[in-house]
Amino acid sequence: MVLLQMKQISKVFGDMKALNSINLSIEQGKIHSLVGENGAGKSTLIKILTGVYQSTSGELFCEGSKVDIKAPKDAQQLGIHAIHQDRQLIPYFNGLENLYLNDPYPLKRGLFGINWRKMKAEAELLKRKWGIDIPLDIPAFKMTPSEQTLLEILRAMNSDSKILVLDEPTASLSDKESELLFSFIERLKNQGVAIIYISHRLEEVIRISDKVSVLTGGKLTTTLNKDELSKELIIHHMTDGEALRTVEKKHEKEPNNKDILLQVNDLRTKDQRVKKADFTLHSGEILGVYGLAGAGRTETLEAIYGLRSIDHGEIRYKGKPILKPSPGKMLQNGIAMIPENRHEEALIMSNTIKDNMTLPIISSVTDKGKINKKKEDTLVDGEMERFKIKATSMKQRVAELSGGNQQKVVFGKALLTEPNIYMCDEPTQAVDIMTRTEIHMFLKKQSELGDGVIFVSSDINEILEISDRVLVFSEGKTVSVLENHNLTTNEILDICYKTKMEGVAK
Amino acid sequence: MNIATQNGKKLQLNKNMLSSYGTIVAGLGIIFAFSIMSPNSFATIDNMIGITRQIAFLVIIAVGATLVMSVKEFDLSIGAMASLGGVVSAKLAAAGVPVIICLIVPIMIGFIIGVINGAIITKFNVISFVTTLAMGTILGGVTFWLTGGSTVFENIPESFKYVGQTNLAMIPLLSIIMIFIVVIFWYIMSQMSLGRRFYAIGGNERASQVSGINIKYYKTISFALCGMLAAFTGALLASRLGSAHPTGGDGFFLNAYAAVFLGMTVVRSGIPNIIGTLYGAAILGVLANGLTIIEVPSYMQDIITGAIIIIALIVQKLGRDS
Repeated sequence: MVLLQMKQISKVFGDMKALNSINLSIEQGKIHSLVGENGAGKSTLIKILTGVYQSTSGELFCEGSKVDIKAPKDAQQLGIHAIHQDRQLIPYFNGLENLYLNDPYPLKRGLFGINWRKMKAEAELLKRKWGIDIPLDIPAFKMTPSEQTLLEILRAMNSDSKILVLDEPTASLSDKESELLFSFIERLKNQGVAIIYISHRLEEVIRISDKVSVLTGGKLTTTLNKDELSKELIIHHMTDGEALRTVEKKHEKEPNNKDILLQVNDLRTKDQRVKKADFTLHSGEILGVYGLAGAGRTETLEAIYGLRSIDHGEIRYKGKPILKPSPGKMLQNGIAMIPENRHEEALIMSNTIKDNMTLPIISSVTDKGKINKKKEDTLVDGEMERFKIKATSMKQRVAELSGGNQQKVVFGKALLTEPNIYMCDEPTQAVDIMTRTEIHMFLKKQSELGDGVIFVSSDINEILEISDRVLVFSEGKTVSVLENHNLTTNEILDICYKTKMEGVAK
Repeated sequence: MNIATQNGKKLQLNKNMLSSYGTIVAGLGIIFAFSIMSPNSFATIDNMIGITRQIAFLVIIAVGATLVMSVKEFDLSIGAMASLGGVVSAKLAAAGVPVIICLIVPIMIGFIIGVINGAIITKFNVISFVTTLAMGTILGGVTFWLTGGSTVFENIPESFKYVGQTNLAMIPLLSIIMIFIVVIFWYIMSQMSLGRRFYAIGGNERASQVSGINIKYYKTISFALCGMLAAFTGALLASRLGSAHPTGGDGFFLNAYAAVFLGMTVVRSGIPNIIGTLYGAAILGVLANGLTIIEVPSYMQDIITGAIIIIALIVQKLGRDS
């Protein structure tokens, strides 16, 4: 029986189509997986289902009747619950309190007080019904990741969930814990719960799914049935058939070992988000960096730039080892970072374009402590000209600019530090097509002038479009460096998923 | 339909005007009201000059609070710091130490305490609110230790009282010192790279760090400057009164933050700024002066002052949200 039906669901952000006419049916007692690259639209789709976003157009039907999900509360009332990667638990509340977070506590009759005994009994019943044995008397932060996941699922079941969305539930689980989760999911399924399962791990997707829908660039490419599932077929659909087309390499240069700008040897961070990063960056090259979400790309850049504590490893800039990197030191060495999160890490939104751009170089426009405003204005004017930034004046606040223009301010700011290495983390994310092209052209020009560019992107086609070489990350490690010569998206994805699979099989 | 939208527009316009000029209009209104109620005592040149002397302490200590708030931190030890500064300077004066030393030593102590505050907060990444509250308690203890709990007033030489009590061509020396400090710190905050960095950190600490700014260093500097100004305020107060009470500066701490918050409502962007703080302290000073002159009991003054601060905050918030 079809529980939920999406008809022509679209979602537009600004001038970007995040979802394009999605048609999807979710059936009772079936596990339906969604797969796709980062940014393919999976999370947007889930957010529409759970009431976080509203669709721009399209209709939703729940058990045959049209519904309007305007807020998370509406979704919960329809019995749609989502378990996200980031836990929705209060760390210091115990299991029981977390279980009743969205529900009223049972009260003692006639008295004002919580009926803890009844609560405990209900919880025990629930645990037995679903065959889950997790301790409910300890605070959530003391539970293992799998216990936390199970607790969240149990909570959804407590509110009679009919459709359960699991977003990368095994990302933080060990293999044994994953097995436990799978058998639990199986039980839910047999009780008639519909499961929407999202994972990068194709192996487990193929194992547990009844149906797999593939999303690419906001479109639903295909839905495969259980008997036709194979890794090759899924990857083929994920790459939109483009895998067969070879992307032409844009400019050829022989890397010269004499021109090594940056060398990273066996880098590991204290928090283990980066386990082993090894790579070199040459003068005049654009090094594309690809990996699935959580592969450690951003974290590696942060470690090099001094924003994340390093456990061991070596960073050499033009042959010289850099001990204890810090942003100030790296900027002085000529290494600029374009962070992924523009609003939180790159710009001070409430400040003006001018104040933002000159922040890293404010000392160089300062005479005896006083800012030389003329000098400052000239520099900012130059960058606004170069990047054709559209603003009323350099005194306009960056919060009022469009995403593309904000990113141009970020680039202008970086350029003022006169870097010869650009570490760009998703630099074209949420910018318009024009700006995207301009950023590509700018970086290509800089590389032709002899600078080195590290280009992290989750858009695999963009990586192929711009890179000289492609560095692939998986599970915190650099696993492969490929010359971008007749390279296909298929080859890169194959490496990503293969190494991911090995990680699971261990 | 038409009328509704028109009204909506009008309302928004009023809200914006309220937030930009509300505090200024309120200040002028307060002065006007007192002038009518008490033309012979309030609205005189002598009283106006007197107000500039009365608010000097509050302005100087609030300038320090402004610096710490510009990096999005709090220093709640400023009141206790002022008390300690006053006691130390009075003790030194009583011991016959030259006046200039009596003023410099508290400033140095304030600097050191400020550095310790900043170092603890940035090194261990703890909340400044609680850290400086605890530091204030420690300083209060030290002050009691030094004084045995009694006021320092014996053997204070006239030369020490000179700073706080003399006038230069009708203008109190205290008022001149206040203006001097306001100008210096206005210059630092609006014309120098130091101020730019403070505001950058306050605006977005992470982005400032990515831009290569040493957050710990600059935050510590803001605490050090704040401590210096607080201790100096205490020393000036001791000079003015010719004595120092072990809790004499404590009361400044709440009013200092009230002045900063009022000042933030003057400028639309809502960031702590020196000129705004001067204005905020002036409003509080005029209120205290005027209410005393028209013989409003002191408990009533507290109620009115508190209410005005809350209203100013709400008005500013309303304007910014629209």
